[in-house]
Amino acid sequence: MTMQTRRRIAEISLFLITLIVAILFFFPIFYNLMSAFKSNAEIMRDAVAFPKTLYLDSFKYLLTETEFPRAILNSLILTGVSIVAQVLIIPMAGYAIERRNVRWTRFIFVYFLAGMMIPFQAYMIPLFKELRMLGLYGNLAGPIFIYVAGAVGFGCLLYTSFVKGIPREIEEAAEIDGCSRYGIFWKIVFPLLGPVTASMVVLNGLGIWNDFLMPMLVLPSGEAKTMVVEIYRYIGEFSSRWDMIFAGTAMSVMPVLIVFISLQKYFVKGIASGATKG
Amino acid sequence: MATSIINADKSVIATHKKKKKKWQSYALLFILPSFILYTLFVIVPTVGSIYLSFTSWDGISSDVRYIGFANFVEIWNSPRVHNALKNTMVMTISLVLLENIAAIALAMMVDKVRWFRNLFRSVFYFPTLLSGIVMGFVWSMILNYNFGVFNQILDRIGLGSYIVDWLGNPKYAMISIILSTAWKGAGYYMIIYLAGLQGIPQELNEAASIDGANGRQQFRHITFPLLAGSMTVCLVLSMISALKIFDQIAVMTDGGPGFETETLTYIIYKVGFGELRQGFGTALAMVLFLIILIITVIQVKFLQKREVQL
Repeated sequence: MTMQTRRRIAEISLFLITLIVAILFFFPIFYNLMSAFKSNAEIMRDAVAFPKTLYLDSFKYLLTETEFPRAILNSLILTGVSIVAQVLIIPMAGYAIERRNVRWTRFIFVYFLAGMMIPFQAYMIPLFKELRMLGLYGNLAGPIFIYVAGAVGFGCLLYTSFVKGIPREIEEAAEIDGCSRYGIFWKIVFPLLGPVTASMVVLNGLGIWNDFLMPMLVLPSGEAKTMVVEIYRYIGEFSSRWDMIFAGTAMSVMPVLIVFISLQKYFVKGIASGATKG
Repeated sequence: MATSIINADKSVIATHKKKKKKWQSYALLFILPSFILYTLFVIVPTVGSIYLSFTSWDGISSDVRYIGFANFVEIWNSPRVHNALKNTMVMTISLVLLENIAAIALAMMVDKVRWFRNLFRSVFYFPTLLSGIVMGFVWSMILNYNFGVFNQILDRIGLGSYIVDWLGNPKYAMISIILSTAWKGAGYYMIIYLAGLQGIPQELNEAASIDGANGRQQFRHITFPLLAGSMTVCLVLSMISALKIFDQIAVMTDGGPGFETETLTYIIYKVGFGELRQGFGTALAMVLFLIILIITVIQVKFLQKREVQL
């Protein structure tokens, strides 16, 4: 055997192994999406088989007979508004901390970073009480504030490290031209931070979309909360209606799949930069 | 003439000072919204936790009674808490090992494979983006005793004697949760290791192979040491996320069968919101916080020493 054929065989076998692992890896997601298009009887009879017909009744049922549409709307509002609020608030802080490097901003920076170590469970019980006192319990405003507050630590870390890489000369030139700090930030610096912002938006956005414990505790009981919380409730209530729950989970997974496919590079960039800078 | 220069100089200094002052007020303005929200919704409730952990508050009544260290004494003596701590430890150690080994293996596969590299990377990474509740449910359906895919496949390939109730049997519930969580988590760390692998110059491996080093030796003496930087990050992150695992337990076993899979985060929730003992719950939360704090500090201090700088 020549060197070349040996290398070829090694390449092909590595490819095959990777392929098999990838198929096994993807199976649960595929199974989830596939089962959403099967009737309950079909799922019970043969879990592995492909759907014979495209069964859409469970989607129809979920969207017309239950409070699921309300839950979808809540998830969309929560994710959308929280992300916009994060983008409006956190980059400014990261920028100011990095550009105005004095004792009190350095202290604030450490103070923000400390939050990254505090697990949600460590403060959830008093938070609950606090929301009641502030009148934020039982509406969507409460969770939005909590999501923005929870993103400050990591967001500032991300933004300070990227602002460092932007040359100050651009800002100085704008300053001489009479631009205010506010204008400099939003008109000049912020557009240059586009990739970081995109990473923060996709990663935090998914985190909020998928969040379970906080919205379950904080949103009013007896009404639809978020998609994930609603799915959890159905698992308890309709434990024998797998088709319906699968339809719900598929509706929660599909948007993630679409966002991921269209914005792939920002996911990977966000993690890699967050990890190495952190 | 001279005085006008001095005056001009003075005015420059004055505008400079003014600019600095202006900057200061801007910095304050820029930081203030983050500061207020973060203080109000992270720091204040955390401090509140410290206070509540010394009370016997039930979460509803206005009766917040100070009981000193009674909650912590109970934690120290309670067999249920010991069990939860043991479960947390088992879960954390196995998840950290499994996720990191799997992540390194996946990263090396993706790094070396010749075709469809980006597709493979996406497939391994994608599960990390999904909700723990959703994927926990899918896994509990896959592992279902009667109708689950896993048992059906075992049956079909002639391994019917290995069929067990993966989530209902105390012996297997923990391992089922660990494996399905590792499946969901490994891809995240793979991305970090992959970035690390791609930062290793190709010449090092080439030089080693000219010197006669085989694949395993190259991994042991080149790849592995140079991945230490990524490993520090991944170990800390995976350990903290394993300590915080909640969704999968909530949907797959609810801490059961019995208390087999009840972890620290889960017992905090159960005690605080199920049994309405929020004083005790916050005391447990303080223990969790302390554990995470200690682990982070130790790991960062200890692991940084063995990082190899290129």
